[in-house]
Amino acid sequence: MTVIEVNNIRKSYGATHVLRGMSFSVGKGEVYGLLGPNGSGKTTTINILCNLLEVDSGEVAVDGRPMSESAKYQIGVVPQEISLYRDLTCRENLLFFASIYGLQGQRRVTRISELIAHFDLARYADTRVSQLSGGWQRRVNIAVALVHSPGALILDEPTAGLDIDARYDLWKLVTILKDTGVSILLTTHDLEEAERLCTRIGLLQSGQIFREGTLDELRRIVPAKQLATVVTRDEGAICDRAGSFGWEYRSYGERLTLLLPQEMSLRTVIEKFGDLPITSMTLSQVGLEHAYIEATRRSTS
Amino acid sequence: MPRHLNEILAITKRIMIELLRMRRSLIFWLVFPTLMLLLFGLIYAGGKSPGKSFDFTAPGILIGAALFFSCLGGPVALIVAERERHTLRRLLLSPLRPSSYFLGIVLAHFVIALGQTVIVYGIAFFFGGRFHGSVALGLLVICLSVFSFVGMGFFFGARFTKRTEDVNGPVAAFGVPLLVLGGTFFPVSILPSYLLTAAHLNPIFHMNQALRAVSAEGLGLVEIQTHGLSLVAFTILSLVLGIRSYKRMLLKEKEG
Repeated sequence: MTVIEVNNIRKSYGATHVLRGMSFSVGKGEVYGLLGPNGSGKTTTINILCNLLEVDSGEVAVDGRPMSESAKYQIGVVPQEISLYRDLTCRENLLFFASIYGLQGQRRVTRISELIAHFDLARYADTRVSQLSGGWQRRVNIAVALVHSPGALILDEPTAGLDIDARYDLWKLVTILKDTGVSILLTTHDLEEAERLCTRIGLLQSGQIFREGTLDELRRIVPAKQLATVVTRDEGAICDRAGSFGWEYRSYGERLTLLLPQEMSLRTVIEKFGDLPITSMTLSQVGLEHAYIEATRRSTS
Repeated sequence: MPRHLNEILAITKRIMIELLRMRRSLIFWLVFPTLMLLLFGLIYAGGKSPGKSFDFTAPGILIGAALFFSCLGGPVALIVAERERHTLRRLLLSPLRPSSYFLGIVLAHFVIALGQTVIVYGIAFFFGGRFHGSVALGLLVICLSVFSFVGMGFFFGARFTKRTEDVNGPVAAFGVPLLVLGGTFFPVSILPSYLLTAAHLNPIFHMNQALRAVSAEGLGLVEIQTHGLSLVAFTILSLVLGIRSYKRMLLKEKEG
C-alpha cells in the first residue's frame, strides 16, 4: 500500500528550477531515503509534502488523497533542528503539540503515556528540554512529530550534527519505528545512514531522482562483485595491468579502485600485481558510496 | 471543546508556563511599574497626602510602564524566540490556525495585563488612590490597549527583528519617545502646543488620557469618546499592520 505518492512534480522560483519532475512513492512500513547533495531539492520536496509550498505542476497524494491541509494530520515531520520549547518539560511539549493536533482528555493522556514509554522518556518526562543532552532532545523532537499518530513520518537529515552515540541511538529508534509499521521518508546526505536504514533509496540531483532502488539494486550499478582499493605511486601501470585482465577501474574519492568481476582473495589480487609498486591494497564490497558515484557519473555523461 | 478554542487555550497556557519560568522577565515586569508608580506617585504628592497623586499616576504607569513593556515587548520577544528556536516552523507544519496563534498570544497578554492592573492599582489603593469611574469602562480601555500593543508587537516582531538582540532596539527607539509624548510620566499640559498636536497621533496618549479620565476623574463613555474612538482606530490599524506583517513573515518561513 502506498502512503506517499509524488508524481512528476515541478517547482521553480523565478528562473531557478528547484524540482524538475520529481517522482517517488513510499509504501507502508517502508523507509525511503532521498539521498542527494545540498541544493538538490530535498527541502523543497519536504515543504511540498507538508503543504507549505504548492507545486507548479505534478501531483502529490497522501494515503491516496490529493495533498490538502488534512495531510498535516497524516504526516509527522521531524525538522532538522531541535524545534521544541526549551523552558517546557518533555511532557509539556508533548501536551502542547497534542492539543494543537486536537487531542483532548483521556485520548491525549493515553497517547502521551504511550510516547513516553515508547521513547523511553519516563526518566526525563518532567525535565525541561533545555536541561537534556542533544541526544535526548532529538528523541523528544521525534516523539512530538508522532503525537497525532501519523501514518508517515518525514525525517529531515535527522543525524546532522549529532555525536556518534546519539547517531546510533537515533538509527535504532528509526528501525523500531519502521517495525511498528510507520512509513518513513528520510532525507540525508549521509551515505552510511541511508545504507543502514533505508529499504529503498532515491538518488537525487538537480531536482530529479535519477536512480532509484533497493540497496542491492543500486549496488548492481557498479559492474563489480568486489572492489580493490589501491594506493600506488604508479597508477598508470596498475590501470594497464587491470585493463589487460579485462577489469575496469575507477577513481572513487581520489583513490584508484579496481572493479573485480568475481570475488577473490587479497592474496590472489596481490599476486597479479606483485611486481608493481603497490603501497597498500584493500578489498571491500560494493557500497552505496560507489553506487552513488557511479550513478552520478553515468547520469552526468 | 471547539478546536479553535482548544488551540487558543493551548497557546495561552504555554506562554503562561514559559513566563512563570522566566523569572527575570517576570520580576522586571513587576518591579519596573511598581518602582515607577511609587516614585512618580510620591513626587507628584510633594510631601502632602498622596491619594490624589496616585489617582493621577496609576493609569499612566499601568499603560506606559507595565502594559507597554509586557504587551508590546512580550509579543516581539515571543515571535523572535519562535523563529530562533525553530518552533515557528513546527507550528507551521501543524494544523494550528494563524488566528488561533494570534488570539492565544492576545489572551495570554490579557492575563498578564490583568495581573499588572491588580498590582498597580493595589499599590495605588495602599497609598490612598481610588478608581473613581466605571470599572467596566476602565477594563474596556485596558482591553483595547492590550489589543493595540499586541498588534504593534506583531508588527515590530515580524518585520524589524530577526534575532533576540534586535528586540530592545525598536522597542526603545520607537517606544520610549512615545511614552514620554503620551503623558505616561508627566501631564501633557506641560507640552508645548506643537508637541501636544503631535501627541494626538500617538496611541499611548489616547490610552493614557482615556484611562486617566475614567479612573482618576470618574468620567463616562460620552466624555472620553474622542480618546476612545482614536484608540479604537489605532487598535484596528495596529491589528491590521500586525496581522499583515505576521502573514508576510509566515509566507517567508514557509518558503524556507
